[in-house]
Amino acid sequence: MSKVALSDARTNQILRLHIIWRVVFALLATAGTLTPWIGWVTFASNWQKILVTAILLVAALASLFGARQLTRRSHAGRMIALTLDYLAFVACAVIVLNTGQVFIGIDALGETFGRGVPYLGIAVAGYFLGAIEEYYPKRNLSPTNSLKAVSRWVILGGFVLFLWQIDAVNGLLYFLSKLAQPKGLVAVAGVLVFGFSLWSMMRPELAQALNAKTNHEQIINGWLFLSPNLLGFLIFFAGPLILSFYFSFTDSDAFNPPNWVGFDNYARILNVRFAWLSSPDQLAREVVDIKIYDEVGRFKFGNGGLLFAAADKFFWLALRNTLTFALFAVPLSVIPALLLSNVLNSKLPGMKFFRAVYFMPSIAAVVGISLVWQWLYNATIGYINYFITVGIEFWNTLFNVAIVDPKIQWVSDENTALFAVIIIAAWQSMGFNTVLFLAGLQNIPGELYEAATVDGAGPWAKFWGITLPMLAPTTFYVVSTTTIQAMQVFEQVFILMNPPEGPNNSTITLVLYLYRSGFQNFKQGYASAIAWVLFIVIFGLTLVQFQRQRRSSIYEG
Amino acid sequence: MNPQSYKLRRFLGNFAVYFVLTFFALVMIFPFLYMLATSFKIPSDTFRYPPRMLPRDPVEIMVTGYDEPLPLYYVDVDGQQKEYALAQSNIRVGTYAPPEDLNATVERYLSEVKPTGGAMNPQSVTVNGEEQKLFDVEVEGQVIPMILVSQTTVGEFIDPQNPETKVYRNVRLSEPVENISWHPENYREVIELNNMSRALTNTALVTILVVLGQLATSVFGGYAFARLKFPGRDTVFVFYLGTIMIPFVMLIVPLYQLMVLIGWTDRLAALIIPWIFTAYGTFLMRQHFITFPKEIEEAALLDGASRFQILKDILIPASVPALATQATFTFLYAWNSFFWPLVIINVGNEKNHVLTLALNVLRGRASDTPNLILAGAAIAIIPPLIVFILGQRFFVESVASSGVKG
Repeated sequence: MSKVALSDARTNQILRLHIIWRVVFALLATAGTLTPWIGWVTFASNWQKILVTAILLVAALASLFGARQLTRRSHAGRMIALTLDYLAFVACAVIVLNTGQVFIGIDALGETFGRGVPYLGIAVAGYFLGAIEEYYPKRNLSPTNSLKAVSRWVILGGFVLFLWQIDAVNGLLYFLSKLAQPKGLVAVAGVLVFGFSLWSMMRPELAQALNAKTNHEQIINGWLFLSPNLLGFLIFFAGPLILSFYFSFTDSDAFNPPNWVGFDNYARILNVRFAWLSSPDQLAREVVDIKIYDEVGRFKFGNGGLLFAAADKFFWLALRNTLTFALFAVPLSVIPALLLSNVLNSKLPGMKFFRAVYFMPSIAAVVGISLVWQWLYNATIGYINYFITVGIEFWNTLFNVAIVDPKIQWVSDENTALFAVIIIAAWQSMGFNTVLFLAGLQNIPGELYEAATVDGAGPWAKFWGITLPMLAPTTFYVVSTTTIQAMQVFEQVFILMNPPEGPNNSTITLVLYLYRSGFQNFKQGYASAIAWVLFIVIFGLTLVQFQRQRRSSIYEG
Repeated sequence: MNPQSYKLRRFLGNFAVYFVLTFFALVMIFPFLYMLATSFKIPSDTFRYPPRMLPRDPVEIMVTGYDEPLPLYYVDVDGQQKEYALAQSNIRVGTYAPPEDLNATVERYLSEVKPTGGAMNPQSVTVNGEEQKLFDVEVEGQVIPMILVSQTTVGEFIDPQNPETKVYRNVRLSEPVENISWHPENYREVIELNNMSRALTNTALVTILVVLGQLATSVFGGYAFARLKFPGRDTVFVFYLGTIMIPFVMLIVPLYQLMVLIGWTDRLAALIIPWIFTAYGTFLMRQHFITFPKEIEEAALLDGASRFQILKDILIPASVPALATQATFTFLYAWNSFFWPLVIINVGNEKNHVLTLALNVLRGRASDTPNLILAGAAIAIIPPLIVFILGQRFFVESVASSGVKG
């Protein structure tokens, strides 16, 4: 969109400069490969050195190839040049921010940010002032015009005051002072040079000279728009995911270089023994090698039994608890949600209010919620036991019976601790699921019900014959997402239980065990292996549900 | 069917509907009400059984002749319930009876009764096979030797209007006079003493930056996926979709090591930067942009607008509801997150704590003051509730639609 068109001769000249720049780039990158090895830049470990060298070598070769393509006036050359310059630009920009301690400086911002919040509030209020005009555009123009102007000034004023309050000037000075070192200055120069090269290459004359077509612009724009997201995604998601897989085969402890241990982690997790017992209470050490195996549980029948022992009993206890948790928490959340959504679907007034109320628990912080329930569960003064007591007294006087108040100990009893967590989780996810079901219900065509009414079907017949089959896709979605959530239960347990694994390990869950292994014992390789096993379990459960859903929909369809 | 019975049935049906809905609404809302009410209580009130909802304080009253205000109690006087002030507690009272007739009891202060025969030469008598000490008890001017049947501790209650009127009652069995009073200073105490103010600002800062960053990256990414054709787009998109189902716990170990590598452990940056790139948000924005009519964009392109201008001037202003929805989602996620901060921010580094971490610390530190813990919980829970109420319309609708389409 440049206003001044360039002559052909000038374009050729610029193109020649770009070709030279590509060669210079290649030389710089090659020189860059040497810096880690002669000690200019220090890296923590060898694989980082090798990685940096490899990336720079690839960049150098690509740059040379780009130069060759540019001399042929091939558009591929332009693409290569743009890609290389863009990546180098981003890298330099990140180095600038890092050298200026912007990322670390966020901590300092935490100190001053509180003072600025009121002024930020003023700026937001200014925005809403301006938005009034958008909502009432038909009012006469002159006052609203001034309203918009006022809003703009309020926003600006509020923002400037905010910046002043959070000490932005000092922050900027600090940034510049930190930047004033060779590394920082080189990076700034890099930002300028690569940025200028990008800008120049994007000029329409140059594009034309390199035979760009309209879809080339779309390709460039597409990758450009996607790039922030994609780069972050690769660095903070895809990369770590692959690393996690790698770590699960190592003895990594986060601070020392990891050693490859092959399948040892998985072998330890899956190392289990079953042994027949000659009497139900036979000691474990008589049937398995207790130097290796710990008893996880035993199934008693008749005058014998089956002992289940594992090398890592905590993993199997955690798996048992997590599966039990999911087995109860998912139906306890989904079935009431299904029924409630059917009730909510009646066209009576006030349904939106109830919908909002049911939704409330799912937006509150699990940590806060668990703290509240911790006191509700208190065995002596808590409301839950109080309600139970009152209910039993009422029942006893009403029917003249003598049911004994159980005085449940909730979190401190190993038989009820996990159930206490289940109730919280079901309570918290029920409203969310209700809304999902409600949306599914509203998509069922009304004619189906009308036809059924004509055929004389009652409400239950309609529910089983129409509602449930038509809701099958929603039910699948709800059940699988709730299951995935349930399999990762951690925060409720961590806050509610003290210690988090509960009395006699009754509430140790897979994620809790992962946390303990990885971040309290720093066996991070082992923790990664647990994560992958968890993933496989979740994946398997989802797959089973998917199969069942598909089969049932084929059956009904 | 006659219309009257139809009406009745409909009425009963509606009544049942509202009954069920109200019951569940109470179940849903009760823990929140409990949290709020308890956060305004004084500690002793929180440990009372049976539990009560509203915060109450014991009432105290100034009585002439006493320097300090005296607590008021409900006292039974001559069959009437009256409000008397407790002037003196822990008065020890003995019940005495003559050895011949144990039912003819009188009550006297222990301090006023002396042993028969003086302290040096106490006398005793055998009653029912047990030896009992004898005391000189004055009854209507006569001194009668009696034995101590039982003793208790009582309080002296006086009529506030007429301090000469005194009655003695067991203090523990008397019901104190209380009035409803709220203690908002609990919140001040939590914020000032327990690091909550710093945690609150940190949480706000982290949340704002995550929301803004995530909106930016997902708007650009979503637009590229929805509207721009480029080779590799669909492959990348499928790749994105595939990762949506991957649970976060898969990443926690390698992400932690990445943070160790770049020196962001214990830093707020670790709570922000990795979270502003999201596959799910990008997917949602793509689903939104793809519903947009292409013609408007094509017209703008012909007029020479750049893609960026189209996004800025046409698509974003028209996408406020979708953006608000995603902002709300992200807000809740960032505000409520606990696992990752727990892993990455050290317990000792209170300067960088976020609310959930501060609550975790408070839980251990204030375990004997549930009012403070629940005030902290309220501070963490109320801002999301406000955001939810403001964005409710967009938010609930979008949860509904994402569930069905997604």
